[in-house]
Amino acid sequence: MTVARWGDVATYAVLAVLGAFFALPFLWLISLAVRTPAEVYLGASRFIPQAPTLDNFRLILSDPAFLIYLWNGLKLSASGGLVAVALAIPAAYAASRLNFRGKQAILVGILAVQMISPLVILLPLYRWMVALGLLNSDLAVIAVYGALGMPLAVWLLKVTFDGVPIELEEAAAIDGASRFTTLWRITLPLARPGIASAFILAMVMNWSQFLIPFILLERDGDWPISVAIFNFAGATNASTTQVLAAACIIAVLPAVMVFVALQRMIVSALMAGAVKG
Amino acid sequence: MTIINRTTDRGPAPGDGHPLPWLVPAIAILAAFYAVPVLDVLRLAFSDASLLAPASRYSTDAIGGVLADPALPVVLGTTLVFTLANVAALQLAGLCIALVIARGERRGLRGMAAFRTLVLAAWVVPGIANGLVWQMLFDEAPYGTLNSLLGYVGLGPVAWLSDPQMAMASAVIANLWQGTAFSMIVFYAARRAIDPTLYEVAELDAATPWQMFRYITLPLMRRLIAVNTVLVTVQTLNTFDSILALTGGGPGRATEVLALFTFNTVFYNLDLAGGSVLAVLLFAIGMGCALLVHYVIGRERPAA
Repeated sequence: MTVARWGDVATYAVLAVLGAFFALPFLWLISLAVRTPAEVYLGASRFIPQAPTLDNFRLILSDPAFLIYLWNGLKLSASGGLVAVALAIPAAYAASRLNFRGKQAILVGILAVQMISPLVILLPLYRWMVALGLLNSDLAVIAVYGALGMPLAVWLLKVTFDGVPIELEEAAAIDGASRFTTLWRITLPLARPGIASAFILAMVMNWSQFLIPFILLERDGDWPISVAIFNFAGATNASTTQVLAAACIIAVLPAVMVFVALQRMIVSALMAGAVKG
Repeated sequence: MTIINRTTDRGPAPGDGHPLPWLVPAIAILAAFYAVPVLDVLRLAFSDASLLAPASRYSTDAIGGVLADPALPVVLGTTLVFTLANVAALQLAGLCIALVIARGERRGLRGMAAFRTLVLAAWVVPGIANGLVWQMLFDEAPYGTLNSLLGYVGLGPVAWLSDPQMAMASAVIANLWQGTAFSMIVFYAARRAIDPTLYEVAELDAATPWQMFRYITLPLMRRLIAVNTVLVTVQTLNTFDSILALTGGGPGRATEVLALFTFNTVFYNLDLAGGSVLAVLLFAIGMGCALLVHYVIGRERPAA
């Protein structure tokens, strides 16, 4: 065997070890979720259950509250992602196309605020929301999601806009289009993959967000799934592990599916941001 | 006449125009949701506010109280261990995966995309779900995942979550599983940006793979590794939801990091002033890291 072939063997050996580590939690979760309570107590010997069942999923999905949690999660993350992208587009466009003093400072500032823990800004925001009567309102959560998602969206969109040929905009300008028309009719349609990536990323992050809805939404019926499963876990015990596993799969699956389906597009957007940022 | 009109009526040339209208939304958000809240946290740190009652007077009592709290050194120590262990583990794993995938792709090996997808899938698992899933894996009962697997090879049950030191290791493992993808993406992008002719030349010179890594890959990735170190440090510092779901900070305070301690202080003890002091501390450490990244980028790219 050549050196390169030995290298291939080593490559697969490393992948096998790491692959086992990354796959185990998913596989175990699925295994638990299709077990009967009796088989949960049999541990690894029933990794593939003898009597697989979908009862645990049926139990979760027949609970109307759970469907509401899923809907709340989708509604809040999608709206928050939209707000983040809408806020980011003008700034990203200016950063990409205009030359002005302080541009670098603003870009660095936008990068720097991402270092701030949401927990830090939530303390005053919670009090403001109470004062404004916005506690327990979706609007409060969506606004905070928009603010938290905006910085990354600005960076991703700036890189996207940088990739749109400026000649197209110049041609539109010569034809008498205003800058706004140019952005709306030329740049944004061409930047669609980047915009979609920024939106999906913001949405997936919002889906995972626990702290913001946990604090700003006090009513059970308003909770997104991320908060609901935390609460649900507190109410389960060893005899209902399989139900919790099914609930976790239902909470995790939408984000994982969307991300896996669109990962090529999102990863290339992120990679462009990583190298140029 | 028409020619003059056309020149005055035409759209603005690229590169000019007033930036302010474009920047207003972003700047307004930065001010309302970041700058002013941070200043308000600073104000609250000097107050006696609780979550239920507004500030009635200003003093340094809350700051004194937090600094005198015997729990603080414990929490800071825990935070330091958790952060350092994660920053090292996340980046080593991320670098290793990125280079292995890049190599596999160059050799046309199968399964690289599937493996990358698997790592990315773990990344988008919500932090709370991550904690809950690993709690099942670390279940110390004989039928718990890891303990029943270890039982097969004759190894005794491990006290994954009830032993303080093991609980810290478990929390790091759970975070490693979820967080590796970020470093993987950054390093993969960095590796792909390296000019392949450098490796071809090295090959002609009969360089070993280790020499290529040591003298080509590593030096050219240095800037991104430095930036990534800071980003991962801050991300780890701000992580607490997965720990909340995994161990709740326990046993004792063994896994109670600063962010979780802050959260508990405010939302369980309702001590807003004390929590604000801790939040200022969290902010200061994070910002210190942000300044560091700025310094690193500035130093490595003097031309820009």
